[in-house]
Amino acid sequence: MNRLTTGAPPPDGMVERRLTGAALVIVAVWMLLITRLFYLQVVQGDVYKVSAERNSVRTQRVEAPRGALLDRHGEALVDSRPAFEVRVVPNETEDVPATLTRIAGLTGRDLGSVQQSYGTPRGRARFQPQRVVYDLDRDALARVEARLWALGGVLTQVTPVRGYRFGSSAAHLLGWLGEVGPEQLREEEFQSYRLGDIIGRGGIERLLDKDLRGRPGGRNLLVDAHGKELKLLSLVQPQPGRNVVLTLDHQLQLAAEAALDRAGHTGAVVALDPRTGEVLVLASRPAFDPNGFATGIDPEVWKSLKDDPYKPFMNRALQGQYPPGSTYKVVTAIAGLEEKLVDEHTQVHCGGSFRLGRRTYRCWKKEGHGTVDLNRAIVQSCDVYFYKLGLELGVNRLAYYARSLGLGARTGIELGGEMPGLVPTKEWRQLRDGTPWVEGDTVSVSIGQGANLWTPLQLAAAYAAIANGGIRYRPRLVQRIEEPDGTLVKSFGPEVAGEVPVSAETFALIRKGLADVVGGPHGTGAVMRNLPGGVLAAGKTGTAQVVAMAAGERVDSKDLQRQHRDHAWFVTYAPAEDPRIVVAVLAEHGGHGGSAAAPIARDVVVRFLEQEAGMYAGN
Amino acid sequence: MQGIDRRLIQNFEWPLFTMALLVAGIGIVNLVSASPDQTASGLPGTALRQLAWLGIGVVLMLATLVPDYRTLERFAFPFYVLVVALLVGVFFGGRVVNGSRRWLDLGPLNLQPSELAKLAMILVFARILARRSSASPVGLRDLIVPAVLIAIPAALIVKQPDLGTTLVVCIVSASFLVLTRVRVFSFVLLAAIGVVGATVGWFYFLHDYQKERVFTFLDPERDPLGTAYHAIQSQIAVGSGGLFGKGFGLGSQSQLDFLPEQQTDFVFSVLGEEWGFVGSAVVLALYLGILIRGLMIAHSSKDSFGSYLAVGIVALFFWAGLINVGMVIGVVPVVGVPLPMLSYGGSALLTCMIAIGLLMNVSMRRYVF
Repeated sequence: MNRLTTGAPPPDGMVERRLTGAALVIVAVWMLLITRLFYLQVVQGDVYKVSAERNSVRTQRVEAPRGALLDRHGEALVDSRPAFEVRVVPNETEDVPATLTRIAGLTGRDLGSVQQSYGTPRGRARFQPQRVVYDLDRDALARVEARLWALGGVLTQVTPVRGYRFGSSAAHLLGWLGEVGPEQLREEEFQSYRLGDIIGRGGIERLLDKDLRGRPGGRNLLVDAHGKELKLLSLVQPQPGRNVVLTLDHQLQLAAEAALDRAGHTGAVVALDPRTGEVLVLASRPAFDPNGFATGIDPEVWKSLKDDPYKPFMNRALQGQYPPGSTYKVVTAIAGLEEKLVDEHTQVHCGGSFRLGRRTYRCWKKEGHGTVDLNRAIVQSCDVYFYKLGLELGVNRLAYYARSLGLGARTGIELGGEMPGLVPTKEWRQLRDGTPWVEGDTVSVSIGQGANLWTPLQLAAAYAAIANGGIRYRPRLVQRIEEPDGTLVKSFGPEVAGEVPVSAETFALIRKGLADVVGGPHGTGAVMRNLPGGVLAAGKTGTAQVVAMAAGERVDSKDLQRQHRDHAWFVTYAPAEDPRIVVAVLAEHGGHGGSAAAPIARDVVVRFLEQEAGMYAGN
Repeated sequence: MQGIDRRLIQNFEWPLFTMALLVAGIGIVNLVSASPDQTASGLPGTALRQLAWLGIGVVLMLATLVPDYRTLERFAFPFYVLVVALLVGVFFGGRVVNGSRRWLDLGPLNLQPSELAKLAMILVFARILARRSSASPVGLRDLIVPAVLIAIPAALIVKQPDLGTTLVVCIVSASFLVLTRVRVFSFVLLAAIGVVGATVGWFYFLHDYQKERVFTFLDPERDPLGTAYHAIQSQIAVGSGGLFGKGFGLGSQSQLDFLPEQQTDFVFSVLGEEWGFVGSAVVLALYLGILIRGLMIAHSSKDSFGSYLAVGIVALFFWAGLINVGMVIGVVPVVGVPLPMLSYGGSALLTCMIAIGLLMNVSMRRYVF
């Protein structure tokens, strides 16, 4: 009766008619659904029962082979090879313990590991093939296959296995694999993954996972009640992953790693092409062997790697931050020249020490260098020259030039986890410690001690900019991405990250000094002389104090415990006139740069020049 | 007040209440079997969470009975604005699960605003239609505002992407035309707009996987490993249930990893396999009971807002039920629409319980004037 209160009256009887109509439609549709259900379940029920119980369809995922990682010459560093595995479907296997024992016997594997791999599947896992033996050789596979008829619920399968051909070589940059965890699956970028998927966990494997992984296929198999395969119903081929060609030169990488290992050093070697920013070597030691990480690494091995005090997972080339030592002196020199506080003729007297207030800062050479100009100061790494110059410049002007070379900031290499390093300023000290910067700090900084921290990659990139006349290229590891058939997907070219605001004259003076470090009399980089083809190199040594010595006190490294010994640096480029390679070496606690780090850099440069000359044709 | 309260209690809508609780209860039991995860108690976490949601849902349903539904009418538009705001929130900061951005993270629980959007559309349309002063048939001009009101949430939901919910929101809104008179010309034009809209949607909004589903419905052999495979497997599951089913927790098809979303979109196939024709028919009968009872409430309502509200809610249950069950038994393409009160999902269950509460509210106040 009150239907009129809120709106206009519908025509007589229309609502009734419409509602009745709607009810009739609903009933009719529901009858249709129930009829269809009756047809499916009662009329066809037995047919479906047969397909469900007698012959069930087993869906198998066919993993896609992961794309290969190749070096710049096309040498495969990481690839995927087919491996055989044995799986057991729990609910199709009558006597699981007996079956596992039989499989262990046939494959020659330890029964305990087979049982452990099988686990205790419950719920839905009982219907799914459980992997019990991984990476089976052909003989063992043949033995299992010959007896499959008697082993209900057992099946063999081919799955690609990742092979890191050179073990721990370049392990940090290539990366490793692991299973996707439930935590990751909640994140947006992992939405296309499923629990248990193999995924890149570090290095390029992680960075380019989406390109490398391809797309899995699948097949539907008709299996009988005993789990035996009757017929292949359908197959969708997997799509292999894309190949990634790196800028890396693996022969140089091996040379660098061998040199570090031979000397027993932990540390890093970075080599760049100063003309493009391409990374030729990115070595870090100690390292780890990524083979087998994805297939269930032995927990003991994993633990020992994780707990290793030398931190093998740390990529020292871009995560290790070290005081630069005398490699810093180019910054002080550039700043002095650009600010017109010195020119190449300015002379400074080095009497072996420098007094500031009541403190004495010693030169590494106790008896002093006598009268030195800029060139001699660089060549002989005279501390006093740079103490005085640095003090005149002040720390903030030093910081400006250090930053303009790209120091104290991430270089932007593709790999994750890069550390920024540190270039101190007055404000930084005030912010961090709440204490003012004092002049003594500037004195330390101007020779590369004190608060400065650089990564080996930063040092290489900064010297590459010096070598090429002031262009900072972003270091790059990936040259191109290709489809499995070789079709180009993406290629990457040089990227200019910035230009160094320093005059050509200044660069020329600095490069002359660096060339004389190697070639000149009393040069600290004499190790780099006599290169193949008469090529001349340039470079700079560095020795970074780990423990602050009282008032510039110097102690012979051999007398110290390893962890208190100085870090040894050497950075070089060759040929000095037209640089095509820059190499930075850091030997942790190696002692003197000239003796510990320079020979390693030499090995890399020699190998590079020999390769250029075609002495390793085919590589 | 007390008099009214007593009459309300006397008029408590028992049939609807009982049928809804029965369906929801069956839903929980079914989820116990359909869930892959097992907790220490032996019960799957999914079913336990759904049980908790059901508890909250019943409380909300009873709370919905307290205010007169005509009071609620005033909140139709504010509620609509709130839901749109939540959808915008999802668009910018929603949580992504399985590639769809549908959820708002509210600490311990996740809200799926697109479920609430269904309710908001029903309330808003019931109000608009009830307030129409003219008795003349609905013309095109009358439909401009409703079209915009649908388009805003629909666009936000289709972008999540959630084709199924978008479809339900639109189709439920369109169902209001059942109670209105539409000019023939307008109807033809509407149909034309629908065709054009579907075409545009096909080319600009549908993802490839969604198009693929339509293709595979038309030609099941097209992709035997993909959606057609799921449709076939779901029919095998239902069909193999036979007359009485394989029994609780014993469905081999359901327990295998054959069905995608078997706790949500394909939950009915688990029911069909384990409880057979008898079980599925009982559930469908309960559904039908709810639908018919809803139409009766629409009929007996004393004002047009109540009628429209009831019709909208019936439409919601009808379409979602038809699309979902139809998909499971192979008479409708695979569209991701959950089965009301049976599929896992807290926001969906709450929406259903509130909707039932609204129906009961209309029913219980049919004498109170």
